[in-house]
Amino acid sequence: MAGAGGGGNDVQWCFSQVKGAIDDDVAEADIISTVEFNHSGELLATGDKGGRVVIFQQETENKSQPQCRSEYNVYSTFQSHEPEFDYLKSLEIEEKINKIRWLPQKNAAQFLLSTNDKTIKLWKISERDKRPEGYNLKEEDGRYRDAATITTLRVPVFRPMDLMVEASPRRVFANAHTYHINSISVNSDNETYLSADDLRINLWHLEITDRSFNIVDIKPANMEELTEVITAAEFHPHQCNTFVYSSSKGTIRLCDMRASALCDKHSKLFEEPEDPSNRSFFSEIISSISDVKFSHNGRYMMTRDYLSVKIWDLNMENRPVETYQVHEYLRSKLCSLYENDCIFDKFECCWNGNDSVVMTGSYNNFFRMLDRSQRRDVTLEASRESCKPRQVLKPRRVCAGGKRKKDEISVDSLDFNKKILHTAWHPQENIIAVATTNNLYIFQEKVN
Amino acid sequence: MDVEAKRIMALSISKLYSLRTQRGGLRLHRSLLLSMTMRAARDIYHTAQLLRDAEEEQVVPCAPDAATEEPMEISKDSSQTLTPKEVAMKPQESLEEDKENRCASERHSRKRRDKAALEPDFLPLKKAKMDTDEEKQHLQGEILRTNNGNSCRQADTLTAFPTNRAIVAC
Repeated sequence: MAGAGGGGNDVQWCFSQVKGAIDDDVAEADIISTVEFNHSGELLATGDKGGRVVIFQQETENKSQPQCRSEYNVYSTFQSHEPEFDYLKSLEIEEKINKIRWLPQKNAAQFLLSTNDKTIKLWKISERDKRPEGYNLKEEDGRYRDAATITTLRVPVFRPMDLMVEASPRRVFANAHTYHINSISVNSDNETYLSADDLRINLWHLEITDRSFNIVDIKPANMEELTEVITAAEFHPHQCNTFVYSSSKGTIRLCDMRASALCDKHSKLFEEPEDPSNRSFFSEIISSISDVKFSHNGRYMMTRDYLSVKIWDLNMENRPVETYQVHEYLRSKLCSLYENDCIFDKFECCWNGNDSVVMTGSYNNFFRMLDRSQRRDVTLEASRESCKPRQVLKPRRVCAGGKRKKDEISVDSLDFNKKILHTAWHPQENIIAVATTNNLYIFQEKVN
Repeated sequence: MDVEAKRIMALSISKLYSLRTQRGGLRLHRSLLLSMTMRAARDIYHTAQLLRDAEEEQVVPCAPDAATEEPMEISKDSSQTLTPKEVAMKPQESLEEDKENRCASERHSRKRRDKAALEPDFLPLKKAKMDTDEEKQHLQGEILRTNNGNSCRQADTLTAFPTNRAIVAC
């Protein structure tokens, strides 16, 4: 496979695989709610609304046949969270997996954190490919032997067996969040992680489940004065003392845990003044940030709001260094999007391995690749119609108004039920995972 | 303009109501955004109403206080036709703070204020109707306070009027 992903537009993307049911009747439990590659890119995890986690593993490349790309196949499936009921507040707690984050690999086993609205769990995924045979006191099927029949002793030996992948919950971090958890982020120190809900951010140690430290609390003394909530949070990729959190007002705060125990006072506040000519009833809603991600090199961060993606330089607080329109043609449709609730959709965004291209989803199963270095962008579609092996994806165009050219699709024909909220990019290669409502598409760079 | 505002206001309220029955508990973020939008729409609607009332006052000088109690039920539509009005840009801060204080009581149950932060402090909307009537009076009181609400000094009424945000019709 080629090295660290290059530009998004001299790259041609091909269909590789699609996972999930084909039929249009989507069971709610199958709706994909999060997608995440692990640090090597060998494993790809998805979480769904039914509380399940499915992990795919990349097959080791067949070096003799470079044309034959490695595929992702199911490695492990397990039920991470179950629906719960909070009797005190008479509230149902959804089992939907909001986020999955992998821990860097330390030994043979893999670890990931998965969270629903209230509880975070640490899962260990380990392989078993041998088992002991030849016990003295037990038969092979586990039944105990009659002691009187044992006349000799033997040493049990390990014999190979069919690979079994086991997932076991190692830690459960519960009861620390009054509001709904929207983010988790593992620290670069590999010992701690943060979890964020609407009003608070807590710091956990991976080994300690009965305690967490509250590091951000924006709950006002009087809830009547509430004007903004936390929408996402992430640790800096290298500086273990630094994290950021975004708000529903379109601001990002960078906090330094060395400054004080409670990081209510930010070290930096990133905010772009609003363009008054764009003001509308819905300005508040569309400026709410739905995702924030640091670049791999730790110098930039990217935010996603309803209509745009912004790249911020951590050294400049007053405006982003780059702004990309994702689907500006929707600006005149905000009222309808408010009516059908689409305006509240929370799109995520991601960086490629060398931070030169960013990707985010849109409607009609479109997703956008924004090339920072070449200042170009392309719209692609995840569709069952482009599912032939190695079929190159054709760029799509949306016609905002006026005369529709051939091959363009008009805004009114867009299917707003087909939304791509979750995408992930392999950390080293040009392989992307794009989640439609209940299918996971894997696209790879075309190799000749 | 206020037809649009009225529609958005009604839409927001129905969405806020339906949030209460959603699985997973009340979503604070969504509720906040809905309330803000509803407030913005309501303010536009009310100020448009007041402009209309002020115009009527001009036409009929020395009429008694023209402030009529309009219930929040949108189905009971007033038969007044709206003359299109241009709304100017406005600096946001002062009015926003005001709105927050006024409108937050919609979102917060007085009953729950004492409880520790064990539950999401988001108000079920039963209070909305009552409070908005109160708040409407309050808003009117503020606007008209320079002339006690009874006089016919049109000039004061109009200039004491805070200017509105520009709203782009969708």
